[in-house]
Amino acid sequence: MGRDLKLENLTKRYGNLTAVDHVDLEIKEGEFICFLGPSGCGKTTVLRMITGFETVTEGKVIFNNRVINDLIPKKREFGIVFQSYALFPNMTVEENIAFGLKMRKMPKKALAERVDAMLDLIGLSDWRSLYPAQLSGGQQQRVALVRALAPDPQVLLLDEPLSALDAKIRLRLRAEIKRLQQELKKTMIHVTHDQEEALSIADRVVVMEKGQFRQVGRPIDIYKNPTCSFVADFVGTSNFFDGRWTNGVVDTGKRKIKVTQNGAAADGTVSLAIRPENVEVFKKEPPPEVAEPMNLAAGRIDVVVFQGAAVRLLIHVDGEEIISDIIEKDFEQRDLKQGDQVYVYFSPDAFLVFPEGGGSR
Amino acid sequence: MNPVEPYGRKFSTWFSADNIFTGVIMAFLLAILAVFLLYPVVDICRLSFFKDGVFTLQNYADYFSEPRIFRSFYNSMFVSTVTMVITTVLAFLFAYGLTRTTMPFKGFFYTVSTLPLIAPTIIQALALILLFGRNGVITRYALGTDWNIYGATGIIVGEILYCFPNALFILYTTLSAVDTRLDEAAQSLGASALKTFFKVTLPSAKYGIASAAALTFNLTITDFGIPVVIGGDYSVLATEIVNKVFGLQRFDLGATISVILLIPSITAFAINYYLTRKSYAMISGQARPFIQPSRPLKKWAFTAYSALISSCILLVFITVFLGSFVRTWPYDFSLTLKHFDFPSLGASVPLWTAFWNSVLEPGPFRTMIAIKYAPIWTSLLVSLVVAVVGASITLVAAYIIEKKKPRGEQLLYGLSVLPAAIPGVVLGLGYVLAFNKPYFLIYGTIWIIIINIVIANFTLGVLSGTANLKQIDKSVEEAAVSLGAGPVTTFTRIVFPLSKVAFLSTTTFFFMRAMTTISAVLFLVSAQIKLAAIEIIFLDVDGRTASANAMCTVVVLIVALFLIIMRLTTGSSGLSGMSAAK
Repeated sequence: MGRDLKLENLTKRYGNLTAVDHVDLEIKEGEFICFLGPSGCGKTTVLRMITGFETVTEGKVIFNNRVINDLIPKKREFGIVFQSYALFPNMTVEENIAFGLKMRKMPKKALAERVDAMLDLIGLSDWRSLYPAQLSGGQQQRVALVRALAPDPQVLLLDEPLSALDAKIRLRLRAEIKRLQQELKKTMIHVTHDQEEALSIADRVVVMEKGQFRQVGRPIDIYKNPTCSFVADFVGTSNFFDGRWTNGVVDTGKRKIKVTQNGAAADGTVSLAIRPENVEVFKKEPPPEVAEPMNLAAGRIDVVVFQGAAVRLLIHVDGEEIISDIIEKDFEQRDLKQGDQVYVYFSPDAFLVFPEGGGSR
Repeated sequence: MNPVEPYGRKFSTWFSADNIFTGVIMAFLLAILAVFLLYPVVDICRLSFFKDGVFTLQNYADYFSEPRIFRSFYNSMFVSTVTMVITTVLAFLFAYGLTRTTMPFKGFFYTVSTLPLIAPTIIQALALILLFGRNGVITRYALGTDWNIYGATGIIVGEILYCFPNALFILYTTLSAVDTRLDEAAQSLGASALKTFFKVTLPSAKYGIASAAALTFNLTITDFGIPVVIGGDYSVLATEIVNKVFGLQRFDLGATISVILLIPSITAFAINYYLTRKSYAMISGQARPFIQPSRPLKKWAFTAYSALISSCILLVFITVFLGSFVRTWPYDFSLTLKHFDFPSLGASVPLWTAFWNSVLEPGPFRTMIAIKYAPIWTSLLVSLVVAVVGASITLVAAYIIEKKKPRGEQLLYGLSVLPAAIPGVVLGLGYVLAFNKPYFLIYGTIWIIIINIVIANFTLGVLSGTANLKQIDKSVEEAAVSLGAGPVTTFTRIVFPLSKVAFLSTTTFFFMRAMTTISAVLFLVSAQIKLAAIEIIFLDVDGRTASANAMCTVVVLIVALFLIIMRLTTGSSGLSGMSAAK
């Protein structure tokens, strides 16, 4: 049972606007959950309802088997890390970390030990008597992290903690958060709009859109088996084709595509997605040999983006832009370059199939 | 297990420490403002509309049918309008020089232009009389003419000198906030400098200009100190109120004129307030101006102009200083300290008398310090208390309004902003009407004076407090709460330390206002309790002009000393941003 956190039918409305729309979730003690979604999708509102800084319109927030909707934030004993760090500018690093301990009236000696332990945890012992303004953004956020952890909170909530940092620091701190989570086995709920961050850090990812949970699952499932086109589009990159399904062939109006999987709606409406790494590219001459010639389409390489190990090609096919990622070695072997006439090939079993039009993307 | 039982009782949210904290303070603030702001104003209206318990417009009919009295309305409108136009133009040019040219000595000019804020509004009138009065050093002595400045001219010149820094603050803020790159863009598109000025600079500052004008109008029409000293027979609404009350004991007429005065003053305030908000909305975050070097002619023209204005302002202070040290202005310019031995038979405050009696040897010097200087000590005490109480209470009010936003927050905000719209004379008269009752124990003590000054200046304290609190990130407070801090701890450990700079400058502001205010407390002083700034008027009315100058000098020196001490001990930047303009 443990100290699980449960959201039941949770809803938040501001006047006519529904920010969070009847969502349900169970978070196990010690789990690392990530809310992922574009800005305005309601992920921060969910977090703030969990913290108690936002009131609940409908539904329940349940912690440790008790409804905590009306519990004031202070009583929840949840630690929070903010995007803006929110360190107390009038206190030193040490005083910031000690603040929560003092509020809990921890005896002096234990407090000093705890502060030391926390400083060790982030390797900032030498900075203890500096003020926040004297630290870099990354250092400030590390202090904010252990400040929230110091009083040993039941749950740690992180509201876009890395968004204000630059790319390198962001990666480092991301790894550090993951390490702390694994060491401390603390329930953590992390909110972000950065899919890479979510996929790399969380045990489970909740993809949100328009106040609703679109998919909840392990990062690999979210990426490999998105359950709707929104997720396929938002997480990673996808090429989309909307069309009608008849006997394993989807007619998009421009072309017919053979698809192994069935997943069309009753009326045949279907949306196909294929990841760029599953789009193969061949020189036009000699004609490539493929299992399903129907799925070949002729086009021209418009843009070549070198990305290190992979090369991204933007290929113009019948007025559509198809994105293909091929590994750098293949790119050289096949002697491809901008302006080349090529064939793209979609393997029939590489498609994700959604029973919907393109409306939800 | 079915998780149904709530964690703690349901009503716990409504009775949480946070809500109790906010609720108690809200109730306290609303009660204070209701009793000490609304009630007196309502009482004035009541008195002007009712006679023996019956509603009547008789008072108004009387007022408007008596041409001599009605004249005061016209006069007030006239001097305020003229002052408004001239001050706005002068201050705009000055602000333009400071923000858009590369003239030298900007810091000096700016500092000098803020000087009028540290003196009672009477100082301009005193200086003008010394220079251009019946015995003016320029009129009588240098020119030998009988012309003098008493009347409308004196009031207008005095008010311009007094309102100048207030208008300047608004225009300076406006002009430094408007993106100078707009000007550069216009010029790069081929507009001439003059065309740029009229098509780009002026329109982009229009709200600031209108708001400065409205504020000047409001300050002038509500001022009492200058017209009472230099107005002569030229009566304006503010002096007329005091006349009716002090001269004729006609409280009903005083109340009637007060209501009439309230109309233009509230209107002007509302316009100023509305436009200030609009003008701030136009401020762009990236307006750090780079000013192209001005052409020599422009540069020196603005330098000469700024030097002229600064000289006029300095002249006011120098004249009054001199006037308090020379034997007989303008005939005998030998120096003396005799005017500082104030003639007033002075009331003594036991506290001070006992103190000085214990420190000083008996003799004329002790009499002077302990008895004759009593108004100064009282003013000092009142001002120190006002400074601390005023700054604290307005900071708390600002915190509740800006950060807690409880139900009724709009009401609290409205009441907090209202005092700036109510002329000091009106509020003072309201206090007499409302609180001069035997059961109202603090009437006739210094406490009613302290409360009056705090309330009369509530607006600026709250506005500067909210402006400062807006800059504190909301998550800093949430961080404190999530770490287990209650509302009181959050305020004392986080919010207050982060508001310290604003708090100190508000403290300075309240001290300055308490030392220099005249109109608000005029009705509240008595034979027992006198204040230095009010004594200036009584000395002047008594014909003891030199002593009035000396008292004025003392007040200015005390305020200046306080500013210096604040500057040295706290590094707080003194005058900046402290005018009624904010």
